[in-house]
Amino acid sequence: MQKKLTLGFFFTLFLFTTFLPIAWMFGNSIYEEGKFSFAYYKDIFLTQKYGKVISNSLILASVTTIVSSFIGVPAGLFLAKTRLPLKKYFKICFFIPLVVPSYIIGIAWVNLLGKTGFLNNVLSQYTFLSPESVSNFIYSIYGASFILSINLFPVVMLITEYALKNINPRLEESGLVVGSVFQVFRQITLPLIAPAILSGMMIVFVLSLSEFGVPSLLQVNVLTTQIFTQFSAFYNEKAATAIAFPLIAITLVLIILEQIYLRGKSFEILGRTSSNSTIQYNITWLKVVGIIFCSLVLIICVIIPLSTLIFNTKTTSAYRDAVLLARNGITNSILFGSIGATLLTFIGFFLGYLSENIRSRLKNSTAAFIWIFFAVPATVSGIGLIKLWNRPEGACQFIYSSLWIVILGYGARFLPLSSRIIANYLKQIPHAMEEAGTVTGASWFRILGKILLPLQGYGLIATWLISFMFCIGELGTTILVYPPGHETLPIALFTVMANSPTEVVSALSIVIVVMTLLPVGIFLAVSRYLVKLPQLTF
Amino acid sequence: MNALEVKQLIKCFNKKEVVRGISFSVEEGELIALLGPSGCGKTTTLRTIAGLETPDDGEIWIEGELASHGRKALISQKHRHIGMVFQDLALWPHMTVYENIEFGLKANGLILAERRKKIEAVLHKVNMQKYAKEYPGKLSGGQQQLIAIARAIVTEPRLLLMDEPLSGIDVKLREDIRQEIKRIQQETQITTVYVTHDQEDAFLLANKIAVMNAGMIEQTGSPEEIYSSPASLFVAGFVGEANIMQVKTAGKDRVLTPWGELVYNTKGREGKNAYLFFRPHHAIIDNSGHCYGTIIHRDFIAGMYKYRVSTSGIEFKLQDQTKRDTGEPVKFSIRKMEILFF
Repeated sequence: MQKKLTLGFFFTLFLFTTFLPIAWMFGNSIYEEGKFSFAYYKDIFLTQKYGKVISNSLILASVTTIVSSFIGVPAGLFLAKTRLPLKKYFKICFFIPLVVPSYIIGIAWVNLLGKTGFLNNVLSQYTFLSPESVSNFIYSIYGASFILSINLFPVVMLITEYALKNINPRLEESGLVVGSVFQVFRQITLPLIAPAILSGMMIVFVLSLSEFGVPSLLQVNVLTTQIFTQFSAFYNEKAATAIAFPLIAITLVLIILEQIYLRGKSFEILGRTSSNSTIQYNITWLKVVGIIFCSLVLIICVIIPLSTLIFNTKTTSAYRDAVLLARNGITNSILFGSIGATLLTFIGFFLGYLSENIRSRLKNSTAAFIWIFFAVPATVSGIGLIKLWNRPEGACQFIYSSLWIVILGYGARFLPLSSRIIANYLKQIPHAMEEAGTVTGASWFRILGKILLPLQGYGLIATWLISFMFCIGELGTTILVYPPGHETLPIALFTVMANSPTEVVSALSIVIVVMTLLPVGIFLAVSRYLVKLPQLTF
Repeated sequence: MNALEVKQLIKCFNKKEVVRGISFSVEEGELIALLGPSGCGKTTTLRTIAGLETPDDGEIWIEGELASHGRKALISQKHRHIGMVFQDLALWPHMTVYENIEFGLKANGLILAERRKKIEAVLHKVNMQKYAKEYPGKLSGGQQQLIAIARAIVTEPRLLLMDEPLSGIDVKLREDIRQEIKRIQQETQITTVYVTHDQEDAFLLANKIAVMNAGMIEQTGSPEEIYSSPASLFVAGFVGEANIMQVKTAGKDRVLTPWGELVYNTKGREGKNAYLFFRPHHAIIDNSGHCYGTIIHRDFIAGMYKYRVSTSGIEFKLQDQTKRDTGEPVKFSIRKMEILFF
């Protein structure tokens, strides 16, 4: 009973923060002057007006997916299957583009390839490319795809690596005793990890489709930026909602297709046996290719963007100016980020538990239902929150004009993510751990406090850190909902970009990078000193 | 009064009946083994008794009280007073041995002094006093096993449920732990339901065995009964070594075997197919025997030669202490008293 009530409460909370604003917004968009009207939707589907925007969005998402897979799959492969020197460091570095907000990588590359950029000069001097063509590239859909690929390839890489490491080595060994390494890779390994790669690609596609920061930075006209323009420039929130519709529809169709494709293709076959280690390819030339490939990726995705930002700041005074200009943003971001991450972890725990432990056929649909909302574009969530909370009643006004509207935004955006991470950690705890508590007659809260939460220690910390990083970098929703005086760092950055020199913009970008990476760095440094729980072996 | 009584229990998963109306009872202090192949519904039955699964129909009575009726739980988990040992033990890795055992006592609201007394007593019972402060991860497989048992019995449950506790343990250790379980159960006299697919566990531990197959109980009885008078073809084949061959009946008292006609009461199965059953040691190899065959395979296990013999393409098992070669013809007789028909 305790359990049902608690889980019911948190699921309602999820519906309230994530589902309700969007439902409200769509309801509102088809209801005008006391009757139903699909006028705005007709505008989208029956006229050519938005054809270009929709195709731009699809090109952006497709190109990003293809490019990030071409980087991510080999990177994951080299990390999991070869004896690459400095493997650990490569892996940590490859995390950076994912956790650093995408628009910051964008700012760095714009600085390099823009008309006066260093790399633009070099390219136009030594190749047949003109300065215009180079700068046109970065300010195009393909430029945006390039930036987003840098940002999102780690998703494909991590999933590939994880899948490879979790293949039961006996499956490969039984092939290796009769066939060559490449035959085994082609006929056994690759088919086994294909579903995982595909779902990685799916995530990249959906994320780049709903991306707002980079297209808006590069002035590329896609659905998300169009939604923002309709709403904040023309105050036409009904049109904005209608434009959001194809975006959500595409995402929904994709997620449903993925669910159908993955049905029956269970990851269980990848189950680890108790004593094993991943089979590594001990081939010298492959190792050399791996080093070259990983170094190139490292240079393009991490070293070039970060060092550009550092070099661009030139003086330390730029940092001082940046911090002074964005003082409010920094404190707000830390405060909102911490509150946001804590709530995301706490509520995410119960949602993750719910989606992992619900019995019967509802299990997959509950998880899928929660996960769908991760694909809702930030701008859509933002408009939904405004529509729902911007009303004269006292309580609504209090929330709408305080930090809580920003926190609600974080919730709407990232609860699906935090709950999914926790659900994955919960999967690793045998169900019998809880049942062993249940049969003693202990209450669910006692089991929760004494067994489930302590066993989740590392998972909770990891979830908090990831949530914190995402909150710090959140732009699309915050830019719409933040009340005056409550701007966060990314907002400060976008304001500074409009009216400050490159040095200050770069300096502020570095500040954001440090703020995102610092907690993780501290955690990694400290975690080795934390007492590790002895693992139970059977 | 029975300590546990299960009546017409039904449990479905995804509309498929996994437990199909089973009934059995256990007397106070008795150990019953639910024996059956994997997937036969024995663990589900156990979990339903524990209240971890909701039954779809049937009744569960614990010490004369109706604990669940249909889908309704009339006695909550807390008040069923059940101790359970899980298949993978489920010792909490973040708690010490002491804390693992203490959890249930705390949940039942015992004060510190009482808890300490009980934990010490139970650790003494399983001979693990030394390990109170260790984490389970530091213990060997057998020690973990004993702690899991200690944790289950410390609350002095009315019923102890054990779900294949010995699976995944090597043979030698298995014997030792089995002895420990038997000793502890006999000393504490806790009514126990023991789920296993291993015949040895069931025969060595249980006062009573319920052989399960496809969600139903095929036979309940003492180990001796189960072995010597199996009630169904399944039990006959599942328990111990067996020869089962299809035969035809002719008339009221004649059975057509590969070795000719055998006079035997066919129990009204005239002209129908039947199955003839005998255990390898119920056949005696000697030259005066009226059955015959050719040895096609020979194994030597535990001081005994085990033969696979073929008569006109029908294979069966025999055993003897004399060594014979493959290809050698043999004659044997089957003790008529031991032959069963199904």
